[in-house]
Amino acid sequence: MSNKLSSSVPTDREVVLGILNNSEDALNKLYTGYFPMVLQFILNNNGDEDDAKDVYQEGIIVLYNKIKGGNFELSSKLKTYIYSVCRRIWLKKLAQQSRKTSNIADFEDVIATEDDVEQHEEKDLQFEKMQAALLHLGEPCKTIIQDFYINNLSMQDICEKFGYTNTDNAKTQKYKCLQRLKKIFFQT
Amino acid sequence: MRNEIELEGIIEDYLNGKLTEGEAKAFEELRLNDPSVDHRVVTHKVFLESLQDYAAISELKHKMDHAHAQIDVDALSRKLGPHPSFVVNIWRKNKAALGVAASFILLTMAMLYSIQQNTQQIGSVELMRSELGKIKNSQSSLIRKINSTASEPKNERPANYGGTGFALTANGYVLTNLHVIKDAESITVVDNNGNSYKARVIRTDSQYDLAILKIADDNFTPLSNLPYRLKQNGVAMGDEVYTLGFPKDDAVFNQGYVSSKTGYNGDSTQYQVSIPVNPGNSGGPLLDQHGNIIGVISARQSQVDGATFAVKAKYIQETLNTIPSDSLGKKQVFNKRNSMQNLSKSKIIQKFDDYVFMIKVYK
Repeated sequence: MSNKLSSSVPTDREVVLGILNNSEDALNKLYTGYFPMVLQFILNNNGDEDDAKDVYQEGIIVLYNKIKGGNFELSSKLKTYIYSVCRRIWLKKLAQQSRKTSNIADFEDVIATEDDVEQHEEKDLQFEKMQAALLHLGEPCKTIIQDFYINNLSMQDICEKFGYTNTDNAKTQKYKCLQRLKKIFFQT
Repeated sequence: MRNEIELEGIIEDYLNGKLTEGEAKAFEELRLNDPSVDHRVVTHKVFLESLQDYAAISELKHKMDHAHAQIDVDALSRKLGPHPSFVVNIWRKNKAALGVAASFILLTMAMLYSIQQNTQQIGSVELMRSELGKIKNSQSSLIRKINSTASEPKNERPANYGGTGFALTANGYVLTNLHVIKDAESITVVDNNGNSYKARVIRTDSQYDLAILKIADDNFTPLSNLPYRLKQNGVAMGDEVYTLGFPKDDAVFNQGYVSSKTGYNGDSTQYQVSIPVNPGNSGGPLLDQHGNIIGVISARQSQVDGATFAVKAKYIQETLNTIPSDSLGKKQVFNKRNSMQNLSKSKIIQKFDDYVFMIKVYK
């Protein structure tokens, strides 16, 4: 309706299309649009700004995975969905820290998001496992693996970047690194 | 070692779909025949997916951190965060509950207040003199014109105040409250037939709030002998009592009991009587069940139901004694006997009606 409103909060359709197209602009709009809502909820329920940031980012990741997974149906407003997911995540965190959760101050409607949050928790566990494994792997292995598998550099690029005499050496190095990483990852 | 590296390369290419059709077919056959190769393919697949998820989320987090940096979090949290004051916070979170609690407290306080009022009787005293409404009065004077004898003196001004009085003697001495007739320009006494007589003040006693009037009107015919007497002693708590008075233009009977032998704030010149009275009852007689006069209704306590005060009969006698006895006429002084002793309540009231007057006061 008013310009101000549409600029501060993107339409739900904009967001879904933006996420599917990996649009960074759409993400920015989405992120800045709904952060105040979650911040308000966390601040008024025993949390601080850092808690709000963590919870909100997790909530956005849940939304991303849901949209990218292709089984996202807009059965409610996006706002309600984000709020409900973040609310669920925060209440779980509070319970884990055995902080007081009585008398939740709510600011929006709430819908059931238990399944989505549980799925996210499994994924988050994998994420943390990988993060820990990579950290444990150490340099230069970590960078080699990241460059090859995440940044999609070719063996040639890596060879030059790390100053290996030939690509075979680089390949051997990458292989060793990967074996160690796999070992750490599957062990824990 | 070299073979291992190559095998891994092939697995990756296979998973990424980079093998040619023939190569892929040959590799799938190898997987079928060699379970260890198959196992490596599966674990590598899982691992790569985890790594890709990790990459995607890392990237997303990085972008979100970037977006987060653009937000002025401090300003937002000042605006949205809980109020620094503990009290305001409690209020915001528990509005409904606090509302209920507050109304409960208010209710309790109101109840306590009214209980205190009832038990301690610290309320003020209202004198039971009625201020007559002008409209009401003009109506009543019309009625009286029709009923009354022709030669009565006319006072066209409506009465400002009204009270009750009763006969002390057959020759026209009437007792009422001082506050009823105080500052009066003229006083009119109205009997139960509606006849009005002019009266003047003979005696006032501000200590007991009593006044004695004398009907000074040529039309007044002396009453028959008074059937009642003053009962100055032997009144006990719980005694049933009656009163007749003029809270409206007709006599109204009320019934109650003596609730205390002292009056307002322990005033020993009064009884406290539990009897419903209204403005206009002031000066009315308080009778016991045999028709003896035991007091004069004078006031009630405001805000307390059924706390009425009556001046004791003893002080009527005292006031009466201050009047030179020759002016009262020896024969007409109070009866020593009560001729209504054995009559029923309604008979007593019926008889009494002749001796109770409405006092109208013009200021």
